[in-house]
Amino acid sequence: MLKDTKIKWMFLLPAALWVLGFTLFPLFYGVRLSLFNVKIGGIDEFVGLANFIHFFKDFRARYSVIITLIFVISGVFIQMVLGLSYAILFNRPMPARGLLRTIVTMPLFATPIAVGFLFFTIFYEEGGLINGIINLKIPWLSNPYWALSSIIIVDIWQWTPFCFLIFLAALQGIPDDFYEAAALETSKARQVFFYISFPILQPTIVLVLLLRITEAFKVFDIPFTLTTGGPGMATQVLSMYAYRVGMRFFNFGYSSAISILLFIVVMIFIMTMFKRIRQTYQ
Amino acid sequence: MNKLFTFLIILLLIFSMTAVAGGQKEAKEAEKAGYEYLKWYGDGSVDIITFEDQEVIHLTRKQLGTMFGEGKKPFAGKRIAITVNNSGPKGGISGPMYRLRPAWEELSGAKLDIVEIPLAEQLQKTINDLRLGGGQFDGFIEGAWYMGEYITPGFIVPIDKYIADKGFPYWDPNWLPPSLKNIYTWGDKWYATLNDSDGQALYWRNDILTDKDWQQKYKAETGKDMPYPIKTWQNVLDIAAFFNGKNWDNNDPDPDSGIVMHFKVNEQGMFHFMSLSAPYVVMGGDTVDRGTNNYWFDPVTMEPLINQPGHVRALEVLYELSQYGPPAQAAWDLGTAWDWFLRGKAIFVFSWGDVGSLVQDTSRSKIKGKMGASIIPGSYEVYDMNNNRWVKLDKPNIVGNTTGGSWQGIISSKAENPEVVYSFYAFMATEPVSLWNVNRGWTGVDPGVEIHFLPPRGTAKLQGFLDAGWNESDLKFYLDAYYANFFADVMMPYLRINGAEEYWRALDQNLSETMIGRLKPKAALDRTAKEWEEITDRRGREAQLKQYQQSVGYKK
Repeated sequence: MLKDTKIKWMFLLPAALWVLGFTLFPLFYGVRLSLFNVKIGGIDEFVGLANFIHFFKDFRARYSVIITLIFVISGVFIQMVLGLSYAILFNRPMPARGLLRTIVTMPLFATPIAVGFLFFTIFYEEGGLINGIINLKIPWLSNPYWALSSIIIVDIWQWTPFCFLIFLAALQGIPDDFYEAAALETSKARQVFFYISFPILQPTIVLVLLLRITEAFKVFDIPFTLTTGGPGMATQVLSMYAYRVGMRFFNFGYSSAISILLFIVVMIFIMTMFKRIRQTYQ
Repeated sequence: MNKLFTFLIILLLIFSMTAVAGGQKEAKEAEKAGYEYLKWYGDGSVDIITFEDQEVIHLTRKQLGTMFGEGKKPFAGKRIAITVNNSGPKGGISGPMYRLRPAWEELSGAKLDIVEIPLAEQLQKTINDLRLGGGQFDGFIEGAWYMGEYITPGFIVPIDKYIADKGFPYWDPNWLPPSLKNIYTWGDKWYATLNDSDGQALYWRNDILTDKDWQQKYKAETGKDMPYPIKTWQNVLDIAAFFNGKNWDNNDPDPDSGIVMHFKVNEQGMFHFMSLSAPYVVMGGDTVDRGTNNYWFDPVTMEPLINQPGHVRALEVLYELSQYGPPAQAAWDLGTAWDWFLRGKAIFVFSWGDVGSLVQDTSRSKIKGKMGASIIPGSYEVYDMNNNRWVKLDKPNIVGNTTGGSWQGIISSKAENPEVVYSFYAFMATEPVSLWNVNRGWTGVDPGVEIHFLPPRGTAKLQGFLDAGWNESDLKFYLDAYYANFFADVMMPYLRINGAEEYWRALDQNLSETMIGRLKPKAALDRTAKEWEEITDRRGREAQLKQYQQSVGYKK
């Protein structure tokens, strides 16, 4: 019996080591760094909560928070609506449905860095693909508002297929009996959707929302390659700001504090969402 | 399923074989093509044959140094790794390393790993390696502004003892003018070998500005003669304003620009401001103090000077000038701006030496033989930061600059074989190799030292440039401009203290905010000064001040 218990622990050991080494250690090390003024080639100086206090005084950090929130809220909302619309559309019989589904899904498999460079050429203002076709000079990347819109558009292009795939799977999981029973009551598709499909889809919608929001908060690659955070600070999202502060200016303490604050905000958001879900379904 | 598995295995094998083969590519290509990388002569001199292009560079016995000779291979069995910008085997700065690596490997017997790193990650990767103890890189081809980061902690080694050693390939530090010597050394010690000479010059469409019709049109529209030759930034403004929006170039039906610049944030836009602002800020003299031969900080207090009236006036000029360029340039990087000029879409660009050589490349350029160039224009007024007043001058204040990286080889203090690294750098710095680089501008190695200029200023030969495809008129403008720049009486001081990158990035973001109209020039520079104070405080004011004083040569 004792031997069996040891074997159980042996099986658990790799996973435990993995969690310790690659999750808990970096997290605690990050917390430790955030409490120090880290000096390269010198001795780190303990500064308590100064890095966290500095965050609230730092106009660049504040601006990055606003940009990140705009990016997350608008981008994820549009992805959800579009993803659900695609799922409903492609759940119906139509010619070449398999091919169309594949095409719609393709952006999901592109590397974000490559996507950034691809859209750099598409958004090029002097004869790029879009401005060339519409024969207008839309300042996609040189105007702060258009630049922010551009990175949101690219994110929507890349991540709508993710929402689509999950919604489609959920829709296909609804038994036909439900629709057949509903058909006896009404012939209106809208009523069938809101009274049958939507309530059943709700847990999936919340799940997709959670996954997308947590991912969107961490966005880095697309603004990094497409706009490098500019013009000015127009597209400098929080993770990019943390990267610059840490990896380019070697202010590791402050960079860690930013990352930890971002982590806390996302955690609070997820926990609140889970609490709501539990309350709803209990 | 089995078929899929087999297919994946085959794919994996092919990939592995390709990767392994890549390492031996150069040797095999040479073998296949039936040529060798070295051809020895009886007097001990040697022809270096470059990789792929098979161009011949002849090194005399003296230039080669005593350690290298037929069959000597003094570093056989050793291996070094050197980092460089990721421009690839045919790109600037890294390209020459690939071209000359096989020859150097045959000479030395050692192996060289070229490690390409994106510009944005250079400092981070280097510092991580140096600080955290990896020591996987033996040398770095770095921008001069990183020098301060490495000097204080002792991350790199001085090379004076190697320079004095006749065994190594021969290059002479005295070839460098004081302006460049200043950024290859720290204090009285040499840390880098001759490679690149970065400085910004003004380029223009000489065919248009010297065209009689356009000169008459200019006079008819403005009531004044076209201010050519160009002396001041006001001249540039006037000419750019006149030409902007007119279709003065017949390459396409679209209107063209007066000037083109690049302001993509977190790239190299701030260099435009530095070069342009120098004549409004830097006053020459025999000393270094707050208002003399100074630009960045007060050398006594470390107070930022970036928001002084001279700097603010310069930013106002830069902003006005940007209005005569394509609006998209607010998001353009260096290469995109260059292409705009090379395609014949702008009258002016002010940039590095690469532009002059790219103009000669007819696969990219429509303006070969139509280029003019000069040292950065001056200003009739300069702000005296000692007495807080504007000084009016009879002739423009012309200030040379070493703006940019002047990409140079430095040696890690953790290198196990520093002498092997130095031997490669020295080989690249020899007169024939350095000239080969400068003649072919694609190498990214720009002219700046005595051996690069034509007589009577230097020892280079006109034919070398012409053989490499230069137009003679373009070349004359180009070399005159760069000689005037690097040998100028007054030079803009170079910022290379700890955190130079961070100071510059704060400036860069605020400049970008100005270019998109979100901040007025004064507000942008006030904000920059405030951020610089914070950076200085965090990094330690005393240490920063001491480094700044050392780097600009301030003496109490």
